[in-house]
Order: sequence, then structure tokens, then C-alpha cells
Amino acid sequence: MADGAISHSLDRVFAALSDPTRRAILARLAEGEATVSELVEPFGFSQPTISKHLKVLEGAGLVARGRSAQFRPVRLNAVPLAAAAGWLGNYEQFWAESLDRLDDYVKVMQQKEKRNARKRTGK
Amino acid sequence: MPASAPASERESEREVTITRVFDAPARLLFEAYSKPEHIKRWFGPVGWPVTLCEMDFRVGGKFRFAMTGPSGRQNTPFGGTYREIIPDRKIVYDNGFETKGAGRMLVTVSFDEHGGHTTITIHTVFESVAMRNSHVSRGFEQGTNSGLDQLGELAAAMAAQEAKSA
Repeated sequence: MADGAISHSLDRVFAALSDPTRRAILARLAEGEATVSELVEPFGFSQPTISKHLKVLEGAGLVARGRSAQFRPVRLNAVPLAAAAGWLGNYEQFWAESLDRLDDYVKVMQQKEKRNARKRTGK
Repeated sequence: MPASAPASERESEREVTITRVFDAPARLLFEAYSKPEHIKRWFGPVGWPVTLCEMDFRVGGKFRFAMTGPSGRQNTPFGGTYREIIPDRKIVYDNGFETKGAGRMLVTVSFDEHGGHTTITIHTVFESVAMRNSHVSRGFEQGTNSGLDQLGELAAAMAAQEAKSA
């Protein structure tokens, strides 16, 4: 499961999260696993509609279904969400943080260069 | 790459430009970009260290990076090919996640030094408007009409759930 979860597509995760019903389903599953019929009740959608949303969530690796043939409880899988959260928002945020770090690091490089120059010019 | 974008999607709608001025020479900033031992020291957000860093820094050479997030698991690798390298001036590469159907982007990094200061400009052209919007906050917010706070709360709830079951 771990490999499948990691090789998820971020595009799929973002697409899955773009729907309010699917976010509500995930919020419900964050409290614990549920069967499809337990998910149908609070949302007032038909079972096929919920199943369709679950398929999208499953495709994005955000939920997993149990093996029990009768109930097949749905569990959330937070791994892709954590990965998405790292990118969320965030191409600009990614670079803002990277460039902050580069700013610090280039100072370290400059110091090192100065030290080396002093070493070369003698005692 | 831009060539595969829908014809109706103009480049101006698929691009993002980020700039930053550094109090350092272009030479050093270019150096920071060109070797894995440097990349590992600065590339990526805080808390997401680069834990896979393969790079063949020459025109036509490939790079492959991955970061490990707070969960301790390595994120999906991403990478591409260096298209153009002008020492201390410019690096052009394509990039994308190694996942089926993940879009590509073309990134041009320019280093412009004036009076001891260097401006780095990162110009990114995404494959499609949809890809740009899924990577850029403003677009993402508009596209989902949701508010990222809600998602932040959800992520926190999920992390708590995961910690409980671990």
C-alpha cells in the first residue's frame, strides 16, 4: 500500500480535493472508518453518488477499502494529503522558502570563500 | 512542454515568474545551483529536505530529486533535463513529477548581477493552465472556491488520526 500511496499523482489529489462533498467525506473519515451506507446518511446523496465520489478519492489514494466483502469499510489514507499539503498553494511558497534558504546558504559560501582566500594569501 | 499545451492556452496564462535580489555575486548563486552538495543545503521548503539528489549538470544531462516531508516518507521524485546552461547567467530545464499523467514545466533561471547584487528570476511555463492553477495558490483558490483554511484543518485532523492509529 505504501508504494501505491507514494506514487499517487498530485494532480489527482488536487482534483479529488476540489469537490466539497469529497472534502466532507474525508473529514468524516478522519474521525474513523465508515461503511458506504454510513456515509450515505449524513450527506443525503444516493449510494451511487457517494460511490462515485469514493472512486475518485480511491483513485487519488486518499481512501482505501477494507477486504470484508459485505461491508468493505472505507478508511482514509493521509499520506497523499500530507504530500499535497507540502505543495499546496505553493509553487510560489516553495520558491519563497527555498530562496530564503539560498540567501542564508550563499552567505555561508561567501564566508567559506573568504576563509580560503585568507589561507591562500598566507600566514 | 509548451508544444503539447492546448493551442488555445496562451503562454501568458500558463506562466509564473518569481524574482529575488541577493547580496551575493552571480558566480556563487550559480554555483549553489550546480552541485548536489549545495542543492541539498537550500532547495525546498523548510522541513522538506532533499533526500534524493542525482544531477548531471550539463546540457542534455538529467536531474532527479525527491524530498522527505514531516511524515518521514520520501515524496514522489521529480526531475528532467538541463536544456541550456550559461555559466553565471542562465539555467534552463524541464521538470515534472514521476507520476503517470503528471504535467511538465519548463523553468528558466536567470542570474543578473549589478553592483554586487544579483537578481534571480525563475520563470516557469506550465504545460497547461490547469496545471499552473493546481500549483499556484491564487489559481488553486479560484479553481476550488474553497479556502485553504478548511483544507488545513482537514490535514490536521488526518494527521491526528494517523498518529492515533500508528
